[in-house]
Amino acid sequence: MDGLKPINLSPRGSDTAHSLAWGLIAAAALIVGIVVGSRGLKDFDPALISYAGATVFSAFGLGYRYAMWLRRPPTRLYWFRGWQIFLIPKRLPGNIARLVRIFWNNVVLQRFIERRSKTRWTAHWFLAWGCLIAAAVTFPLSFGWIRFETAADNQQIYRAFVFGIHVASFPLDSIMAPLAFNILDICAVMVLIGVFVAMWRRGRDRGAMSVQQFSNDLLPLVLLFAISVTGLFLTASTHLMRGLYYVFLSQLHAVTVIFTLLYLPFGKFFHIFQRPAQLGIDFYKRAGEEGGQAQCIRCGQPFATQLQIGDLKAVQSALCIQYAMRDGTHYQDVCPACRRKNLALTQDALWRTPEAELQRFDRF
Amino acid sequence: MSERAFYIDYSRCIGCQSCVQACAECDTHRGVSLIHLETIQRRESVQTAPQVCMHCEDPICARVCPADAIKKTPDGVVQSSLKPRCIGCSNCVLACPFGVPRYQVEIDQMMKCDYCYDRTSVDKKPMCATVCPSGALTFATAEEIQRSRRGIAINSWKFGNEVVKTKVFVIVPREVERVNVELVQISPTPSALSDDPYDVALMLESVE
Amino acid sequence: MAKLPVDVPELVKQFGPTLNRVPAGGWVGSEEQDRMVKTHCCFCGQQCGIQLRVRNNKVVGWEPWEDFPFNLGKLCPKGVKRYMQDEHPDRLKHPLQRVAGKGFEPISWDAALSRVVSEIQRIQKTYGNDAFAVLTGASLTNEKAYLLGKFARVALRTANIDYNGRLCMVSAGAASKKVFGIDRSANPWSDLPKAKVILAAGANIAECAPITTDYLWQARENGGKLIILDPRLTPIARNADLYIPVRSGGDIGVFNGMLHIMIERGWIDRDFIAQHTTGFEQVAEAVKKYTPEYSARIAGVPAEMIVRAAEMWGPAPTSFLLHSRGIEHHSKGVDNCIAAINLVVASGRIGREGCGYAMITGQGNGQGAREQGQKCDQLPGARDIENPEHRKYIAGVWGVPEESIPGKGLSAVPLMEAIHDGKIKGLLSICFNPTVSLPDANYVRAALEKLEFYVNIEFFLSETAQYADVVLAGSLMEEDEGTTTSVEGRVIHHRKVVSPPGEAREDWKIVCDIARRLGHGDKFNYSSPHDIFEELRVASKGGVSDYYGITWEAIDNNYGMFWPCPEIGHPGTPRLYEGGKFGHPDGKAHFLPIEWRPSAEMPDDEYPIILTTGRVVSQFLSGTQTRRIGGLMDQYPQPLCEMHPRLAEKVGVKDGDFVKVESRRGSVVVHAQVVKTIRPDTVFIPYHWPLDRSANNLTIRAIDPVSNIPEFKICAVRVSKTEQPTDPIAKLEVQAGGIR
Repeated sequence: MDGLKPINLSPRGSDTAHSLAWGLIAAAALIVGIVVGSRGLKDFDPALISYAGATVFSAFGLGYRYAMWLRRPPTRLYWFRGWQIFLIPKRLPGNIARLVRIFWNNVVLQRFIERRSKTRWTAHWFLAWGCLIAAAVTFPLSFGWIRFETAADNQQIYRAFVFGIHVASFPLDSIMAPLAFNILDICAVMVLIGVFVAMWRRGRDRGAMSVQQFSNDLLPLVLLFAISVTGLFLTASTHLMRGLYYVFLSQLHAVTVIFTLLYLPFGKFFHIFQRPAQLGIDFYKRAGEEGGQAQCIRCGQPFATQLQIGDLKAVQSALCIQYAMRDGTHYQDVCPACRRKNLALTQDALWRTPEAELQRFDRF
Repeated sequence: MSERAFYIDYSRCIGCQSCVQACAECDTHRGVSLIHLETIQRRESVQTAPQVCMHCEDPICARVCPADAIKKTPDGVVQSSLKPRCIGCSNCVLACPFGVPRYQVEIDQMMKCDYCYDRTSVDKKPMCATVCPSGALTFATAEEIQRSRRGIAINSWKFGNEVVKTKVFVIVPREVERVNVELVQISPTPSALSDDPYDVALMLESVE
Repeated sequence: MAKLPVDVPELVKQFGPTLNRVPAGGWVGSEEQDRMVKTHCCFCGQQCGIQLRVRNNKVVGWEPWEDFPFNLGKLCPKGVKRYMQDEHPDRLKHPLQRVAGKGFEPISWDAALSRVVSEIQRIQKTYGNDAFAVLTGASLTNEKAYLLGKFARVALRTANIDYNGRLCMVSAGAASKKVFGIDRSANPWSDLPKAKVILAAGANIAECAPITTDYLWQARENGGKLIILDPRLTPIARNADLYIPVRSGGDIGVFNGMLHIMIERGWIDRDFIAQHTTGFEQVAEAVKKYTPEYSARIAGVPAEMIVRAAEMWGPAPTSFLLHSRGIEHHSKGVDNCIAAINLVVASGRIGREGCGYAMITGQGNGQGAREQGQKCDQLPGARDIENPEHRKYIAGVWGVPEESIPGKGLSAVPLMEAIHDGKIKGLLSICFNPTVSLPDANYVRAALEKLEFYVNIEFFLSETAQYADVVLAGSLMEEDEGTTTSVEGRVIHHRKVVSPPGEAREDWKIVCDIARRLGHGDKFNYSSPHDIFEELRVASKGGVSDYYGITWEAIDNNYGMFWPCPEIGHPGTPRLYEGGKFGHPDGKAHFLPIEWRPSAEMPDDEYPIILTTGRVVSQFLSGTQTRRIGGLMDQYPQPLCEMHPRLAEKVGVKDGDFVKVESRRGSVVVHAQVVKTIRPDTVFIPYHWPLDRSANNLTIRAIDPVSNIPEFKICAVRVSKTEQPTDPIAKLEVQAGGIR
């Protein structure tokens, strides 16, 4: 790919200050969003303020962490290169079409996980969609962006408002009603299925068991389990136990959710925000294929795209990795297979010097 | 983790591929072999080269990873990419000075030797170093190595100006303090060159 | 009517070889409740310890057995992937009978055994007892080897039983017996690292005995020097201190030449020779003419190499000689070995720590299977079938009249010739795939077709079993229990890991059943392999290979027991010949003078190139098992013809070209692999593949007059570039004999 502008991999300023600023911007933007979206807090339900508050903190954390992440030279390079390539005007329409396709496969169906392991994919798909749908409902609710009310003229009709605008009405005996009222329960069940499959896998797979860590691999499952179960208890309390312990349960539920929101930017869940950046890699790889191939200076065979090798060298110099060789060549221009061969040849040659031979016979 | 460490002596390798076959038996990635075994240039020689992950102190693979997907355990083992994070860009594959990480096309993810973490974390030997018939790959205590090898074990490498320290050791002659890696070429010659060390025809020259 | 019932592609479609790539239960990790069984690898004479992992009576994986002292957990790729032969789709699970035009169809055990027995009786009645022959294998346990020897002599009363160890250990064994009086490696492997010089002749250790590699490297670490004789620069030779690219069949030049120099320079142990040997003068006389120059002409190497070898070997304080098929697979195989062993005896360096001699057995039970009486000339305990004393003792053990035991029968190659000539009409075989492993494979196939009745006991339908009238579904090593004797002379215990699948049965039960139906049930009344071992112990008592003091319990408690072990409680004998006491009645080692002679077929104008054959690390013998394992086939999928660039240039061949290799007996089409690591006058093709990819289409049916080993290591061929073959055989998968 010619004509791509170089990317500044060592931006000025302090990483922390920069990231703090982005964190604050994200939090502020969310607050503005809540205020505007709830028509000046008119639709805002004060009972949900603790949820909204935790979300604002989470937004700050996510902004901070994302910005910090983008300060790392390799991330920065891929991020900006990805956008550069995506936005090239004459490629844009094709890119958008392609984006839709990869989005469908990688985000909606999560096919790449299926190829890693069916069990893992099953667990992840239920977890992911349980959470995403639940989030799509609860966040707007807690922000006051969505609200439901009974029609003034007919107790049997339910009306839904988004940003204060009436978007739909449905009768209570329609199929929509139970779906709308129980969507979170459905999500909770999906999440629980995911949690159980994941725990089953982690409890059986010795490989997974040996590398898993509590804070990174098990805590998220515990949190999701807690949220789902307490949520389901709320429903059970309402419908089956006439509100028994409802207040206590709702507080317990709130605690689990708020803890998860606070954990969101720093634990495993951050990958939800990180992962979509993967979509850019596809465009990067395709653009690279259209450009030239880099040839290994040892075996002469192509081994990567010139785009990537060039970018990698830039990343390395930003990271102070010094691969320039004494003879003027660059170690990054040696293909991985030749590196492996070269290492063995180097070590083997050390043994074939006269000194090494003498040493051997000294022990004779 | 035990007091035993991993040692490579490339010169011992006989290319039998036991390590390659056994690697796929490791529980963390059963069915997938992650070790490398290169036949250096079969026409000229029978020399082969095994390569496991060297588990760098400051792994370059992790430094060039845009997704922050490569992590080191507290005991210094550089793990395969984290599945939720790896985006399959291959930066690590291309940047690793030892040529270790593998990009697995089917799963669009990098996997690499993880020191048989399922085994070494419970004080068992890694698969490859257990089976290796030649001792090119060995998992032993420093004392055992000192007793049984004529060379010494070092873990310092230099690629260009980049100095790399690794958890895995290499066996070298006693006077060597660091492996300074320069490019070593074996040129594929149409007819034998006089300095060709493994050309049987040249060895026989004086009888012909 | 031992002809293929349908054509090969149809048989391959029904019975494979197909590749097993995934273990039973899939690529899942180990589980807590998995059962671990300590046993041994079934491939090759090293007999490495391994633990097989079992779940629901299925072998699902393995774990190293790091305590076993020989290999300490080490395994070659065959050992690693060995468990993939279990739960294999090609596995024979019931008896089969040949149906012309259709293939094979399952029959009941009763029908199968009735047919076998009636055919045996018909043939023996019509043509005499010796017209029914038995061919067995050296990968069988000691118990099965013993049982089959007894079966032939007692139940069939045929002289004609021999085994495929005939293609493996017999030259080494005969030479050892002649010089030392005992046919066994003289030392345990633990002596190797203590040797200051190791001479390995005709031993591609890295590929054929990979576990020995570390022992050699360890010797080098200790300052020991390594001398390698091989027409190919093997991975071991690459690190040798002296590599001698000897011409195939020229080894005696090197050995006699070395001895010539050693005598000249006084590097022999005159005291030892005087006290513990006989015949040195004749040998000294014989090697007089083997000056470095004369020797060099025989060996086809520079004279300096031979001088250098003598300089390294001669004055060394400790030394170890290793040899294997490279010098043994010759029509002068025994002489080659004796010439090598003369170097050991002349140096006096044997029978003590770091000083010794070993032959590297190739087959799973290469050592043990030749001691239990399934060789055409032997009775159990490595006894001589022609020796009246020996016959009497065994007749007593078996409870049969001495005169009922037949005399010496035909060895494998002459036995196949007798089949071809119509003298032998019926055959029972087990653990032997002669259409792949015997020389002159076209001849072997033609011979099999002449059999009136052929029954084969197998776990997979091998290329030879395809010729059978009845195939009896037998057992894999891990489906039965027993002992083998490893390369070191260490008797070890193979535990039963799982039961045979379907209706398949343990081999020993099948053999006993046939004996019973032949009316000899009282002599084959065993309830387990342990019963057979107990009888074997007694049968071997007082013999050369005396197992009498070896019990299964002692084996389990001591990581194996070394024979001779003459009484219960005896510690066994890891190192032979201590104190210069040899196995002959006079207690001395017997030097024998050796003269070089040409091989049966030397290159000429018509066939100007030497062909030598051998193994690759990923395959075992005729490949019946290893050509069915995906991981192993991937490693080296099809045979390649190794040739030097100079030869390649001369015949106009480039690396990767299809080449036709022809001898006076047949041809193969394979790919060329152009490498500088082979003598320019020699090509190499590994022999594990069948049909048009079988190196043994080319090899010569010449045998050593003493050991009767075939001359696999040298015959004359020509090589030419050719096109990719497109016949139906070529189109088969590579593991079935196709080519890609």
